Amino acid sequence: MSALESPSAPAAAAPWTCPFCPLLCDNFSVDAEPGGWALSGSDCGRARAGLARFGPAAAPAPPQIDGVSCEPQAAIAAAARLLAASRQPLFGGLGTDVAGARALYALACRTGAICDPAGGAALFHGLRALQDRGAFTTTLAEVRTRADLIVCIGSLPSERYPEFLRRCGVGEGGAAEVVVLQPTAAQPATGLVVAGVEVVRFEGDLFDAAAMLAACVAGRSVGDAACALGALATRLLAARYAVLVYDAAQLPAQGSLIIEAINRVVSTLNQRTRAAALPLAGADGASTVNAVFTWLSGLPLRTRAGPMGLEHEPLRFDANRLLGDRAVDALLWIASFGTEPAPPVVDLPRIVLGHPSFGAAVQGPGTVFIPVSTPGIGSAGHLFRTDGVVLLPLFAIRDDGLPSVADVLGRITRELSA
Amino acid sequence: MTTLRLRGGRVIDPTAESADAVRDVGVRDGRIVALPPGAPVDEEIDARGCVVMAGGIDMHTHIGGGKVNLARTLMVEDHRAGVNPFALPANPLEMPSCGGCTPGTLATGYRYVEMGYTAAFEPAMVAGNARHAHMEMGDTPILDHGAYVMLGNDELFLQMLHEGGAATHNFAQIRDYVAWTIHATKAMGVKVVNPGGISAFKFNQRRLNVDENHVHWQVTPRQVVHMLARALRELGVPHPLHIHGSNLGVAGNIESTLETIAALEGLPAHLTHVQFHAYGTEGPKKFSSAALQLAEAVNANPQISIDVGQVMFGQTVTASGDTMRQYANSGLASPRKWIGADIELDAGCGVVPFRYREQSYVNALQWAIGLEIFLSVTNPWQVVLTTDHPNGGPFTSYPHLIRLLMDRSFREEQLAKLHPEVAANCALRSMSRELTLAEIAVMTRAAPARLLGLPDRGHLRDGAAADIAVYREHADREAMFTTPEYVFKDGRLVARSGRITAVPVGGTHFVEPGYDTAIEKVLRRHTKAHGLPSFDNIVIGHDELCRCCNGGRLLPAACFETTP
Repeated sequence: MSALESPSAPAAAAPWTCPFCPLLCDNFSVDAEPGGWALSGSDCGRARAGLARFGPAAAPAPPQIDGVSCEPQAAIAAAARLLAASRQPLFGGLGTDVAGARALYALACRTGAICDPAGGAALFHGLRALQDRGAFTTTLAEVRTRADLIVCIGSLPSERYPEFLRRCGVGEGGAAEVVVLQPTAAQPATGLVVAGVEVVRFEGDLFDAAAMLAACVAGRSVGDAACALGALATRLLAARYAVLVYDAAQLPAQGSLIIEAINRVVSTLNQRTRAAALPLAGADGASTVNAVFTWLSGLPLRTRAGPMGLEHEPLRFDANRLLGDRAVDALLWIASFGTEPAPPVVDLPRIVLGHPSFGAAVQGPGTVFIPVSTPGIGSAGHLFRTDGVVLLPLFAIRDDGLPSVADVLGRITRELSA
Repeated sequence: MTTLRLRGGRVIDPTAESADAVRDVGVRDGRIVALPPGAPVDEEIDARGCVVMAGGIDMHTHIGGGKVNLARTLMVEDHRAGVNPFALPANPLEMPSCGGCTPGTLATGYRYVEMGYTAAFEPAMVAGNARHAHMEMGDTPILDHGAYVMLGNDELFLQMLHEGGAATHNFAQIRDYVAWTIHATKAMGVKVVNPGGISAFKFNQRRLNVDENHVHWQVTPRQVVHMLARALRELGVPHPLHIHGSNLGVAGNIESTLETIAALEGLPAHLTHVQFHAYGTEGPKKFSSAALQLAEAVNANPQISIDVGQVMFGQTVTASGDTMRQYANSGLASPRKWIGADIELDAGCGVVPFRYREQSYVNALQWAIGLEIFLSVTNPWQVVLTTDHPNGGPFTSYPHLIRLLMDRSFREEQLAKLHPEVAANCALRSMSRELTLAEIAVMTRAAPARLLGLPDRGHLRDGAAADIAVYREHADREAMFTTPEYVFKDGRLVARSGRITAVPVGGTHFVEPGYDTAIEKVLRRHTKAHGLPSFDNIVIGHDELCRCCNGGRLLPAACFETTP
């Protein structure tokens, strides 16, 4: 298939799915204009910033070895040599789509690499809570149609996901009241004023807030200090369909405890009314790669095909910890959705698959840089939406002449096996 | 052109003139052919002392999609070998993949094929999750696959049913919507799960009987079932409505099951995992077997087929679209954790880990009920062998189940280990029937192929796909069916004595019924109003399906001609 061929593309106006945040909005369009891409139907700052990294026409971007441009095959061979020489590679970033993840699994098995995405901590906050106690979740269209009370725990998601409120129907005839539960300890009382959003502040940190809210909802007495939470609990108990929203990436260390408390609130509410959690997570391919690895191998990320077998180590295989401990001796970094997450500065042999603009930043010796196509810009692809249910197609809006992550990884794997 | 002869095996093909005969089986280019005796072939395999059957077809097994991946995630402790990680495969053709009751897709493919199965069908594909389901099945190596899309709890269907009133004056529109959904999701059929009940749970309704109204849409499960069965019939979709009935797991639910059969008013349908729907309320524990009542209804309604959903003892995880019933059962979770979800105005899911225990009265009785159903339905063409993987137990327990069905003394030995009241009183005790190899071949190959409308699968007559399993004759049927000597997929040797020998990509079965495109306007409005993905992004085209399924072959099945 050519890079421009997009899955199931209808003949009418070119479809576009925004790949820059896990809401994956697919009802806007982009048009090429002399100054760059023009987004119509939305003023989403995140989408604009994402698009600004790409011009309507792509400049040629050859791969580099040690900062020197080279032929693609030379880069593939160098990458394969680098991995073959490594005793314990780390695959990080993992900013790619389903096809990239499929190819990545084969290479990870071949090399015994440990895989952990950028934002691995946030991913594992959610997984830990899910695996310990379970969860009850919902999806965007359910929230928009059914929710009469949306409680955002910790922060208002629209700061990081600008289309969030609109996706929930706020301002578009939706019936839901939106509340942000913000502990004073988390941040100073900023002028968070958003139409239709109410802020409930709580003296304490988010661990206390979530735990005490769970206690209030369960009808336990938590003292006077929590009267704001008591009132919120009363509203939750009275709601027909309450939704608790959290952004795992914004949670502190041990954030799974907060998620557990949120899930406990949902569980208590479901005894008499209806409620569900909506996690906002999985940006830049993290949840997509995790889903693919889980279905292929049976285990989530932070797993390696090691000497003992399929070793899943959710704490030990944290990329930051491994890099900090110098427990790995080579890094493959994948960031195909733009300039973030940038590869960490490490004194290790590196392979970087990413946006052409990385070229300037990854010049050092021992670095192989292979520019790759961005799914949703230069190539078609598939990503999971934040709720983990809907797998949306991404469409190419230009031909960038770059290989996909899957192409590159497939070639490296074949080179290693040759 | 490559040819192969399997010489002198005992060929069990219930569709052939002689269902059980010692003869040769010829293969040319992936198809069964009659090769003249003595004609030279590229390869000849001595199948003397072996039983030769078509490859197994599992028509109800949860192998791909959102809830399966949630189950894998939840059961992370089951994805270890005791305290150690699962060992890496010794066979270089296999990629690492692990899991007990919900293995990774790679392991799922390998383990099925090693058992002589060559096709498996995911029965509960959520429309909004269809791409994901196809992706997972595409990553399930070797097996051909397909899926039934869930309908009957999506708000649009319920709304249309509501608007159509008693006369269902909008039947044509609903039928087009059903066809469009099959087309969009590349499904092989339609499954209804707790008709109307998943949606009703979103409106805080906690149970829904067959003639009870959905609290919001004011339609009954009876209407939902009848409408879907009728739509599929008129569309000519070969697999009739696949029904997971109301009140799963509830004592006394035999009443709902019989009412559901009545709701069909003679239309064909497939009732799935009926073991979970065949409970009475007799006895001191108010929980009893209604297997005989169910079998009587199946025997009296030849247009009905069933699969059993046999319970096997040990740890498993139940993964179902039936949020209402999974919520109700979540208190029984073992280990004590579970996942539920309301999904996209479309469906739901509930994942509840479960350990079936021999000494539990209820579990022991469930085990007996399943076997009673197998043994008391007269016509094997109406019964398909399943455990509703992983809900009753993992698919890897099929050989054990086959032995239970074929070997009365073995069955009695097992029964004696169970809760004493069940062992002493169940109807199973007095059942002497032992299924024959031909009957097993019907239940595991021929009937599923026929029920799905796959004319070239499930048998070994000329022209069939050369999906073949060759088992060494063994009095212990469990041993025999665990490790076939040879397994061929489209004529290619894919497993030899339990070792994978080739890893081709399986094909995708689907149907494409016709519909009036006027329905698309309705759908466009609906998706926009509810913030669903853009209408233009919903349909999975052929090229995209092929990429989702890893480049496997597309295997569209023909719809049958319908009279207008």
